[in-house]
Amino acid sequence: MTGRQAPLLSVRDLKVVFPTPIGMVHAVDGVSFDLEAGQSMGIVGESGSGKTVTAKTLMNLLPSYALVDGSVNFDGRDLRALAAERKTEKHLWGVEISMVFQDPMTSLNPVKKVGEQIAESVRYHLGQTRTAARRQAGDLLEQVGIPEPGRRLDEYPHQLSGGLRQRVVIAAALACEPRILIADEPTTSLDVTVQKHILDLLDDLRTARGMAMILVTHDLGVVKGRTDEVMVMYAGRTMEEASTEAVFSQQGHPYTEALIETIPKINSASHTRLVPIPGQPPVTTSPPTGCPFADRCRYATDLCVAQGPPLTALGNGHHVACHTPVRTPAAETALAANAARGHTATGLEIHQSGVPIGAVTGGLGEQT
Amino acid sequence: MAGRGTIQLRSGEDIILRVENLVQEFPVGRDRVVHAVSDVSFDLRKGETLGIVGESGCGKSTTARAIVQLPPPTSGRVVLDPSSENEIDLTRLSGHDLRNARPRLQMIFQDPISSLNPRRRVKDIVSEGLEIWSDGDIGTEGRERVEEVLHAVGIDPVVAASHRPHQFSGGQCQRISIARALTVNPEILICDEPVSALDVSVQAKILNLLEDMKARYELSLVFISHDLSVVRNVSDRVVVMYLGKICEVGGADRLYDAPAHPYTRALLASAPEPAQSVGVADAVLGDDLPSPTDPPSGCRFRTRCPLAIDRCATEEPLMQEIDEDHFVACHLPST
Ligand SMILES: Nc1ncnc2c1ncn2[C@@H]1O[C@H](COP(=O)(O)OP(=O)(O)OP(=O)(O)O)[C@@H](O)[C@H]1O
Ligand SMILES: Nc1ncnc2c1ncn2[C@@H]1O[C@H](COP(=O)(O)OP(=O)(O)OP(=O)(O)O)[C@@H](O)[C@H]1O
Ligand code: SF4
Ligand SMILES: [Mg+2]
Ligand SMILES: [Mg+2]
Repeated sequence: MTGRQAPLLSVRDLKVVFPTPIGMVHAVDGVSFDLEAGQSMGIVGESGSGKTVTAKTLMNLLPSYALVDGSVNFDGRDLRALAAERKTEKHLWGVEISMVFQDPMTSLNPVKKVGEQIAESVRYHLGQTRTAARRQAGDLLEQVGIPEPGRRLDEYPHQLSGGLRQRVVIAAALACEPRILIADEPTTSLDVTVQKHILDLLDDLRTARGMAMILVTHDLGVVKGRTDEVMVMYAGRTMEEASTEAVFSQQGHPYTEALIETIPKINSASHTRLVPIPGQPPVTTSPPTGCPFADRCRYATDLCVAQGPPLTALGNGHHVACHTPVRTPAAETALAANAARGHTATGLEIHQSGVPIGAVTGGLGEQT
Repeated sequence: MAGRGTIQLRSGEDIILRVENLVQEFPVGRDRVVHAVSDVSFDLRKGETLGIVGESGCGKSTTARAIVQLPPPTSGRVVLDPSSENEIDLTRLSGHDLRNARPRLQMIFQDPISSLNPRRRVKDIVSEGLEIWSDGDIGTEGRERVEEVLHAVGIDPVVAASHRPHQFSGGQCQRISIARALTVNPEILICDEPVSALDVSVQAKILNLLEDMKARYELSLVFISHDLSVVRNVSDRVVVMYLGKICEVGGADRLYDAPAHPYTRALLASAPEPAQSVGVADAVLGDDLPSPTDPPSGCRFRTRCPLAIDRCATEEPLMQEIDEDHFVACHLPST
């Protein structure tokens, strides 16, 4: 074979709109990305940025009233067309593409033994016998690091700690050897120690099985040093896509920069003043014509208000949707001009240092 | 760790709260007892923020609730103004006296939305603490206080007068809880995971707000979180808890830059971005947290400790001072 293989998953200009009483909610507004076999990708962004809706689209879990546009290609198959046909594909979702949700309690049936829950899916999708399915459930529990798997098979979810429950959910998701595992905030409600174990476990399983993974989180710290690529989402759009390393060391989008600044750092001295992102995300019922981040951005110019920046390649697979990417001369000029006049093109007040006033004062009077 | 001792307690007139030998046990079933908090001592200086960190189930919330006597502890003392002649041991108060002392301590919880009464208007919720003292009418002074506090936390008093909690975001609801706690003019604010349910960008605003309110109203804070970075950011002094005991106490920067207890080191190495003071080799904690109904003998951490020796199973380590104002309960502390 010559040239590059087609990616395992290819998403192009995905749009998801929910008709609601308050208007059309543009939950995902033109997202594109590729995922290669065995690769891991983080999807990061604030609450409401469209991460879960994107994941649910891939899993065919959207409510029927959702209006979807764009294409989703998995291993040469058009997933949206398959979803529309609603028949033969019972062995695709949950088998080849599988998902782990944030709260293990909601994805486990509280009145069913954990062994049965895993075995059930193996029997349904792979047509195994009861005995074989139970044996496989035991093997899976062992693979996800659950001590005494034989005994745990006959326990109910409430008898397990939060960390063990999440391991059970992962075991169930892995039961049919998926080629893509989507983990949506898999560790958000867990302790740091348990979080580390679960994320390490996912990494190990991914490598061992050559599986691709999408890790969805609102916490940039979770993907650091972990995934191959990161996509930063905001208001349903892709703001930046790059190698994880580049996202931290040379992020190009002001939103990514702001997200990194807002997180307390374990190695920063106590009482280091945090820099919150001023304001809040735009209302998704009326997406702005310009850049959706402009209202909160310290670099914003008139162009940002007038025109939405397209996702542009910076080289090395690094893409940024910004008219003035961070650390470029354009950004420096824009920031200097905004600092000099005390505000940005959207009226966001800027300190002489270039930091938004709301961030310096802690956003008093701000509607967070 | 699992350490005993009170050497970490400080003296001085500016100590406003002292928790001594606090024990909280919950009977479960016929003959079993959850040892949720076992002989914990610490103190809080005026104007200080004391952080409490540790894994889920180590007794952080139980400690916080025992301080405000909800419920009162099994044993131990919770003393306000311990260096003054009028020290008050909250565990000895009841009824009227306890109600009188309670406004001095206010609590803020993790889930802002469920801790606010959904049927009341926000302004009434914020007035709640004052209403208890005034048969419903909080008077002009009370109303001014409510407006002032709402303004300070960044909630428009006009909107608060007409809106109910579900009409606000999670971050706004946490501002409202903070306002409600502040109206009664407390001296001590106990925050139990106040930002754990919030988005990162909202979290920073609430943490900054707490710092501002602390300065503005001269508060002292007890700040509980399982997020190590957040605790370092807000705290002057940090207590590390494990299975109902204290492992290590010290100044925030000192403790993070030179952690001495194997458990503290393991925690700091498990963070998504590990602390610089520890290495990957320190990240040793498995899921095998022992049950608090049957805690290990000797040092409670010994079953997960990479350094444990025979002595750790037989002898509970005493809290010792390994450096100025840096205390650790371990037979083999790093120095
Ligand atoms: N079924 C639905 N009907 C209407 N709107 C919806 C529906 N599902 C999601 N939304 C809206 O779509 C937007 C994106 O939601 P999504 O759940 O993808 O966010 P997220 O990035 O996963 O956020 P979080 O970090 O809070 O999980 C939000 O504005 C949300 O309110
Ligand atoms: N009322 C109760 N009855 C029985 N056991 C209890 C009760 N309250 C708490 N416990 C137990 O006491 C221990 C300490 O619980 P606590 O809630 O104080 O932990 P925590 O450190 O706050 O944990 P988290 O980080 O999960 O909030 C746990 O084992 C818990 O199950
Ligand atoms: S060395 Fe011993 S005393 Fe110290 S933490 Fe480990 S088990 Fe406990
Ligand atoms: Mg989500
Ligand atoms: Mg708690």
